[in-house]
Amino acid sequence: MWYALLVLLYAPLAVVVVYSFNSVNSSADFVGVSLRWYRALFADDTILAAAWNSAVLALVSSMLATAIGTALGYGMYAHRARRLGWLIWLIYLPIIMPDIVYGIAQLSFFSRLAAATQIFDLGLGTMIIAHVSFQAPFVALLVYSRLVGLDPRLFDACSDLYANAWQRARFFILPTLQPAIVAGFFLALTLSIDDFVISYFTSGPESVTLPIFIWSAIKRGISPEINAIATLMIGTVLAAAAITLAFQYVRHRQSGE
Amino acid sequence: MADAGSGKTGWRATGHLLGLVAPGVIWIVVFLVAPAAYLMSIAFMTNGSYGLPELPFTWAAFKQLAGYGFLGWSPANLYVVGRTLVQTVLATGLVVVIAYPVAYYISRAPARLRPLMLLLVVVPSWTNQVIRAIGWMNILAPGTPLSDLAAALGLISPHMGLYPSQFAVALGLVYNFLPFMVLPLYAVFERLDTAQIDAARDLGAGVWGAFRHGVLPQTLPGLLAGTVLVAIPAFGMYVIPELLGGGKNLMLGSLVARQFAAASNWPFGAAAALIMILATLAGLVVLRRLGRRLGGDAGVML
Amino acid sequence: MTQPSSPTVSPDTADNTPRADTAIRLRGLYQAFGADAVALAGVDLDIPAGSFFTLLGPSGCGKTSLLRVIAGLDTPDAGTLHIGARDVTRVAAHKRNVNTVFQSYALFGHLDVAGNIGFGLRMHGHDRATINDRVQKTAAFIQIDNLLGRRIDQLSGGQRQRVALARALVNEPDVLLLDEPLSALDAGLRSRLQLELLRIQRRLGMTFVFVTHDQDEAMVMSDYVAVLNEGRIEQVGTPATLYERPANPFVARFMGHANLFAIRARDATGLTTDFGRLAGEFARADHVLIRPEIMTIHAADAPEVASAGDNVIHGRVRERLYRGSRMEYTVAAGETELVVVDDNRGQGMFEIGAGVALVMETTGVVTLDG
Repeated sequence: MWYALLVLLYAPLAVVVVYSFNSVNSSADFVGVSLRWYRALFADDTILAAAWNSAVLALVSSMLATAIGTALGYGMYAHRARRLGWLIWLIYLPIIMPDIVYGIAQLSFFSRLAAATQIFDLGLGTMIIAHVSFQAPFVALLVYSRLVGLDPRLFDACSDLYANAWQRARFFILPTLQPAIVAGFFLALTLSIDDFVISYFTSGPESVTLPIFIWSAIKRGISPEINAIATLMIGTVLAAAAITLAFQYVRHRQSGE
Repeated sequence: MADAGSGKTGWRATGHLLGLVAPGVIWIVVFLVAPAAYLMSIAFMTNGSYGLPELPFTWAAFKQLAGYGFLGWSPANLYVVGRTLVQTVLATGLVVVIAYPVAYYISRAPARLRPLMLLLVVVPSWTNQVIRAIGWMNILAPGTPLSDLAAALGLISPHMGLYPSQFAVALGLVYNFLPFMVLPLYAVFERLDTAQIDAARDLGAGVWGAFRHGVLPQTLPGLLAGTVLVAIPAFGMYVIPELLGGGKNLMLGSLVARQFAAASNWPFGAAAALIMILATLAGLVVLRRLGRRLGGDAGVML
Repeated sequence: MTQPSSPTVSPDTADNTPRADTAIRLRGLYQAFGADAVALAGVDLDIPAGSFFTLLGPSGCGKTSLLRVIAGLDTPDAGTLHIGARDVTRVAAHKRNVNTVFQSYALFGHLDVAGNIGFGLRMHGHDRATINDRVQKTAAFIQIDNLLGRRIDQLSGGQRQRVALARALVNEPDVLLLDEPLSALDAGLRSRLQLELLRIQRRLGMTFVFVTHDQDEAMVMSDYVAVLNEGRIEQVGTPATLYERPANPFVARFMGHANLFAIRARDATGLTTDFGRLAGEFARADHVLIRPEIMTIHAADAPEVASAGDNVIHGRVRERLYRGSRMEYTVAAGETELVVVDDNRGQGMFEIGAGVALVMETTGVVTLDG
């Protein structure tokens, strides 16, 4: 049963990879191995630009979201004794809102604002803004849950051992939160990479990312070239998974078990 | 607890709070709450000449959604809403049926294998959802072995392929959301108190009784959390129905999206989006109530 | 070590300059979290320098609140606090030369043992060499120098306790505060560490303020004990004073088994209470306290009973507990019950229901008010 599940989980990805090496343009027959679709890929400036846009979007939005989300998570914790119910709702809002609603809300808002002010246009900027607004709450929740799991006396121990507010942040809070902040950054990264809908509606003509490029290509019919791009993206994710696994393994070894 | 939680508040503490949460709060309010509020207001506006919203306020968009158009009443839009609900319930049900034994199986595996197994379940969901849809398009396209098999069995007409179809959408949804059910269920199975199963057996319960009284109540919080994580995004799903469903199997998400692209009727699209938000909130409230009634705590919501 | 002078509870002393031998002086400390949650309801206390001083009380009595105020982790709503000659009521925790061993230890998970012990010195801005040197010396003193490179999650409970102690002691504080530091340990380790803590305190001559809810622990370890209840100090004194001359019924009950009875009537030759009459001259009071160990238990017809004089209580054994070194009996007498202990000298046990006589010296009987 477990292996049947693995087949179900990985068959769609495997099929994409296999057909990307197909020497003919067909998803029914596999004729022979060929790299012609990859050659076509790297010769295509549009695709390279889309890849660049995807990378910029993912990295910039994740960094911004990590900074904002960490401060938000710590703020929620430090003031958890107060009535912060509204803050919790505000943070859950982006998490529960259907992404299609999210996307069109920002599309309508930004495009009307752009038309009214004439000072900006839909593009990478609006995409980054949109991505940060759904990534930051996830980072905040990760940071918050890490803090809630701590013995609150640790904060007392800092003051008791002569640390002022700045030293406490520098020598206790940041090092302690570091795993949560790193995890938050990677979560933000996968959220950004996984997203299509919100990017699609907040993008402009100059800011086509890989998923958007693929989307419009599929609308014209699926081609092995698309499979080749998809394979490269799958490869990136698998590499990230392998790194995660290696990281866990090393930490496991360090804890001396 | 110094500033980390004691009852002493004042201007300094308030400033501290604002300094920390203000960037995030302002970001979300300006770039999410304001757009959402604007979208809601659009739903009550008139559809202008280029599909853009204009004053005065009106209920026209909602009437259109209910099926009243130039040609009289038609149930097409209501069919879309109904189909979306059916697909959501079907997909959630299937995900539960698959995820439940999987989560149990992982929780009983040797401890050092469990993180790897969970990672294997989760990794596909790290890829872009469009790519996952392409995978299924490759597998289910006309002329592929699966499609030929289905045709040979008489399930579909020859040369049609398993996609685009309702079936492909259901499969795509299940595939997409499976990890979101496995993770919370795994979390509850890992803490499962097996003594309760023994107690149920000891008190004369059969296999079903032991499951019903010894296992199911303990896993309910995970089940509810998983349902929230699956059903709500499934209801608003856009990519999978659009790619795997084809034009005849429209779901609500596509109906909304079209009003902002080709058809260009923003008020109508906004009205449909509003219905979507309301349905989402209603689902959330019902599940939370259910969670509390069934003895779960606040943990149901993450 | 010089024997510290007797502590005082002196709200009425006009003298407001702290004496040289007073390590901590509290006056009128009041703290409330909302109207219904008064943590400290006016505490006056002098803690002698160099003493092992224990704050004892049931959970919620305010002992931990008091400790937090001394550490500077909470600010009192009213009252003053001197550490040595300095008024530190409004001084922030990180500017007080006081260190705490926290309940559950609060060790930093992101630092190793040496990093934890050196944390306070590092915050003080000492150079690396000084920090290493002092960490080494303190670790050797506490006998954990072999653990310095370990991570916190690799330590046992007892080791963590020592690291927490070293982390506080390395700073050479004026006062060391200990918040139930032994409560998470099993019984054997606990009694070993009690002894060790006491030895360390004696060798350093440092003022230790120790919080516990365990009266046995308080008696074994302390020079002085302050019993707290509902945010107030009920009594301060040496363990012997508290046990033998409790100021009120709360202290009497909290400091171990107490046969405590309301006095119904009193005259020149004795008093009347629930189990009958007690002969002797007693001060005017509300209650009479008879500790179990001042009585001896005999068969009702034993010769000792006949020669014992007036103070014999006749009754029947209702319950008995065999504790190895001694037996503990609950005896029904008059309208009430008394607990009495009998050392095990191989004399056998009384059966339940047996008629017995309890014999006592009136010198051990205490009367108290409240």
